[in-house]
Amino acid sequence: MHRIRRKEDAAGRRPGRGPLSRLAASLAAVTLIGSAVPAIASAASVITISGATASFPLVQLLAHKYSKLEHNRVTFRVSQGGSTVGVNDVDAGRVTIADVSRDPLPTDPAGLDFYPIAEYGICIVTNKSNPVASLNEAQIQAIFEAKDKEWSQVPGASASGPIDLISRTSTAGVLTNFKTLFLANKSVAATATEAPSEGQLAQDVANDPRGIGFLSNYRADQGTVNSVAYNGVACTRANVASGQYTATARFYEVTKGPATGAAANFISWIRTSKAARKIISTEWVPVKAS
Amino acid sequence: MLNRLRNPWPDHRAERTLGAVALFACLCVLAMIVLVAQRAWPIFAHNGLSWLGSGGSLKAQIETMLNAPGNPPASAYHLRAWPIIYGTLLITGLAVLLALPLALLSSIFIVELAPVPMRRTMVRVVRVLASVPSVVWGLIGILVLVPFIGNHVISPSQRASMEGTVQLTGAGLAPAVLVLALMITPIMVALICDALVAVPAAWREGAAALGVNRVRAIRAVTLRAVRPAIVAAAVLATARALGEAIMISMVSGSIFFAPRPGDGATFFFEPLRSLASTIVDYHEGISAPALSAALYAFALLLLFSAFVLSIGGYLIKLPLRRYQVRP
Repeated sequence: MHRIRRKEDAAGRRPGRGPLSRLAASLAAVTLIGSAVPAIASAASVITISGATASFPLVQLLAHKYSKLEHNRVTFRVSQGGSTVGVNDVDAGRVTIADVSRDPLPTDPAGLDFYPIAEYGICIVTNKSNPVASLNEAQIQAIFEAKDKEWSQVPGASASGPIDLISRTSTAGVLTNFKTLFLANKSVAATATEAPSEGQLAQDVANDPRGIGFLSNYRADQGTVNSVAYNGVACTRANVASGQYTATARFYEVTKGPATGAAANFISWIRTSKAARKIISTEWVPVKAS
Repeated sequence: MLNRLRNPWPDHRAERTLGAVALFACLCVLAMIVLVAQRAWPIFAHNGLSWLGSGGSLKAQIETMLNAPGNPPASAYHLRAWPIIYGTLLITGLAVLLALPLALLSSIFIVELAPVPMRRTMVRVVRVLASVPSVVWGLIGILVLVPFIGNHVISPSQRASMEGTVQLTGAGLAPAVLVLALMITPIMVALICDALVAVPAAWREGAAALGVNRVRAIRAVTLRAVRPAIVAAAVLATARALGEAIMISMVSGSIFFAPRPGDGATFFFEPLRSLASTIVDYHEGISAPALSAALYAFALLLLFSAFVLSIGGYLIKLPLRRYQVRP
């Protein structure tokens, strides 16, 4: 042992600073931090949320602001999964609140309370090189049910060739809304590409001159795609707020039975406070006082 | 306590501590396999092994799983996952077939033929390429390759021929295979180069003394000596390719479809999904119990393939062990 130690000294290293002791020290540090974090977290109440991907950006903003206002006494764990997943989770007691981006359905489990928090528009989007100005319900149905297969069948389209439908994976709440609002609850044709997120859908449509898809007005506003007017009304936040744009849906916070405790405070803060309305009004529309 | 850690350790303590760390790593792997298998069990309980086969619409099956209530009925577990298993095999197989000759030829050039300054630069470039994160490759795929294929390679008649079946948007088999091949080539080059460098100079000199030229010496002596390393590189690259998820999710067209080789050149533009990219696309639905079991079953299949690959690689290498060099 002694000899090894002298050797280290000769090499100019301080004894005991070998990789072994460093490893042990870092292990000890990790253990310390690991045991300290839950202790801090347990001092605050934690609200767990799962559900809609469409309302996720909004709920993130709201949760962040609320935590700040409450000096981190309330913390959030927000995950996505789609409205149906949120509903199942909250019914089974796995989360406190479910984010739902569609109206209550008769198939939802009984005993859930739906609190509307914001309104948003669903926009039909095409590639920028194919600036379709406006579509009506019948035209949209013909396109998305693949009855019209060529752009030549669509008035106002400058693209040629087959229409590429870009839809969403079945977990998406926006897809459910799109079907309810535009397709009278029929399904998008099975040939459609399934984008796993709104961002990927926007990119797919931006890549493909023959592409058409649907986005929440929050994403459609970002300038990478052409947003199509519905029945002649442009899909903008202003038109959603004024009520002129009719293809709108609501985001809900859902609890099992009436909300209680921290969850109730959070939901009533979203629905009544000025700070929350200000956040919602950036891209979405606050729900009128009910 | 810190003082005790700071002093040099006696051998027996170092042995025990390091042994414990190594054992812990093994236990973690074992625990992971057990967990994944346990979560995947409902799929096996309801389908046996026939979920590996084909039948019905996979999209409809996944949707049933997703929309099933919290305690899903047995019918919700019905699964026939062949299209994505086939997709995984197709993407991985073609990418490795494309990358292996590329890697072999470029590593021979780098080690045997390139001038020294060039060799140094190229080795460094390859090392950097091998460590580029897959999401960066995915971005290049979706921003450059997919629009290029969609707008300039696919012809209107090819598009028309697939109308009503699938859409040829540019995302599909070809960009997935190309980007994946680019991703795994540097890994193989790095491994094969290391092996080539380790071939004793005396062997090459012996060949030269017999009067053969450089190319013949490479073929007869050097390549023979590094065969096990080539197999090892191919196995590692295949394992890497099998598990690639995010890049494939970005460029493969995201639809449950099994490309049909009978379609000629169009085959390469048809969209598809792999096991790993399906996990990425649907991981947000993981709290639906039936879908979660299906995703874990896909993960278990990937783990199992990695296991089979490493055993297979070992078995192939056995007869090649004569004359081998170890890098």
